Amino acid sequence: MRYGMGPEVLRDVSFSLEAGSLQLLTGPSGAGKTTLLRLLYLAEHQTRGLISLFGKDISTLSKAETPMLRRKIGVVFQDFRLIEHLTVYENVALPRKIAQEDERLYRAEVEELLEWVGLGQRQNAKPATLSGGEKQRVAIARAVVAKPDLLLADEPTGNVDPEIGERILRLFLELNRLGTCVMIATHDQNILDRVNARVFRLGEGRLTMLPPKPQHLAF
Amino acid sequence: MLTFGYRKLQLMPSESASGATLHIIIAVMNFLACLTLGAVLTLSDIASGWSRGLSASMTVQLAVTDQISAEDQTDAAMRVLQSWPGILRARALSREEAASLLEPWLGQGNVLQDLPVPQLIEVQIKSGEKVDTQALRAALGAVPGATLDDHKHWNEELSGFARSALGVGWAVLGLITLATLAVIVFATQAGLNVHRDIVEVVHMIGAKDVFIAREYERHFLWLGLRGGLIGLMLSLVTLMGAAWIWDRAAGPGSSAFTPHIMASPWHLLWLILVPLASAAIATLTARMTVLRVIGRMP
Ligand SMILES: Nc1ncnc2c1ncn2[C@@H]1O[C@H](COP(=O)(O)OP(=O)(O)O)[C@@H](O)[C@H]1O
Ligand SMILES: [Mg+2]
Repeated sequence: MRYGMGPEVLRDVSFSLEAGSLQLLTGPSGAGKTTLLRLLYLAEHQTRGLISLFGKDISTLSKAETPMLRRKIGVVFQDFRLIEHLTVYENVALPRKIAQEDERLYRAEVEELLEWVGLGQRQNAKPATLSGGEKQRVAIARAVVAKPDLLLADEPTGNVDPEIGERILRLFLELNRLGTCVMIATHDQNILDRVNARVFRLGEGRLTMLPPKPQHLAF
Repeated sequence: MLTFGYRKLQLMPSESASGATLHIIIAVMNFLACLTLGAVLTLSDIASGWSRGLSASMTVQLAVTDQISAEDQTDAAMRVLQSWPGILRARALSREEAASLLEPWLGQGNVLQDLPVPQLIEVQIKSGEKVDTQALRAALGAVPGATLDDHKHWNEELSGFARSALGVGWAVLGLITLATLAVIVFATQAGLNVHRDIVEVVHMIGAKDVFIAREYERHFLWLGLRGGLIGLMLSLVTLMGAAWIWDRAAGPGSSAFTPHIMASPWHLLWLILVPLASAAIATLTARMTVLRVIGRMP
């Protein structure tokens, strides 16, 4: 994978994700973690190589199939990407709305999810009035609200203090326990030390895989 | 549109300055389109009315000649005309009628007494029928001094003029449409640029292109319709004002010649189609622009 005429960012990368599995993606800043996730959530096309998602080669996806595939993937963007003129509730409900579900079917679920991430009282707030940690949780709630099969989180604890970071992490592990395949890109040593998961390490365009360390206990 | 209860997810600002500017542009475009269409319709009505009048009649002119007396000349011509197939009626104009026709050129007075004025015969053709003018001309050749004027020359001149004026009218309408398209494309792209981050997120979350396009379609549908109605209203006021001024300038009695801009209800119907076309053009253009821009996103 390369951007425009730039150097190849990802070169020797080969892996497969099992349904319901948990993995961490690490590597120094600029190693290509975000790029790899962007490839997985179809924000970029690979310049060479093969990517298949849910058993389908993504280069053969039709215009009609792409949105359907995207709806199976929840993304926590590194910069949140909340919609400023919508409230917290509306931001979180957006994926369900886009899937053209009836609001009566998901209203309670969205409210419950907001309670769960500790934003029950801030439903009608606009993103501009939220703290970094609160925005992070809105972004996460939006990523999981449609019960995706694959959750991709880009530095989800990068902008928050350790306590909130820990809460967010617990949330991901809980989701994973409920059957979602989770991939978290992070260079937070705390997460790497404490989570019992496969670790993908990116460096110089290459991906190396480290097996889970059984001596570490997950939360 | 995305509605949460009564709230909407607006991808486009509805009350922005660019909204007002766009409304003005679209209204002006519609105003010009309505005026042009009004002119085109009126002109084609007038032209076809004239042409119908001209081809429904002919004139036979009997020049004063020594070979035959005026009465015999008229009788001979009338005999040919009255039995001719396709002719409804032939009527010799009285001297008074001839005098009134010539009045604008010769002025009032007893000029005709002193002048050898040709006798005119007005010939009306049965509606829907054609007269073999060549054969008729030959038959009238037997009457000394008789010539047939079938108004062909005038008719061709008039329809040539009408055709080119109508062509100009349609070309102007085409240009107005083109300019409107360009404005809508430009405004849609600007809207997409301003809200690029929102469009991208919604796109990444799995919104279909047509879903995003619908937001813009709705916005531009109302823009096209509102701008169109304002333009239509202004043009109606202008056209009626023009008709009124025309009527006054033409004076009483000449109303038969006045092109009644608002005379036909069909014209009004055509004009009402302009804002509808404007709304349709705006909607479709916005849709195609959005689909093209989003189609380029990964
Ligand atoms: N949109 C882009 N255009 C050009 N180069 C980019 C773009 N995004 C990232 N890169 C480059 O790709 C490399 C990997 O970036 P990134 O995937 O963001 O790394 P990480 O997330 O691991 O910090 C960097 O060298 C960066 O400069
Ligand atoms: Mg990154």
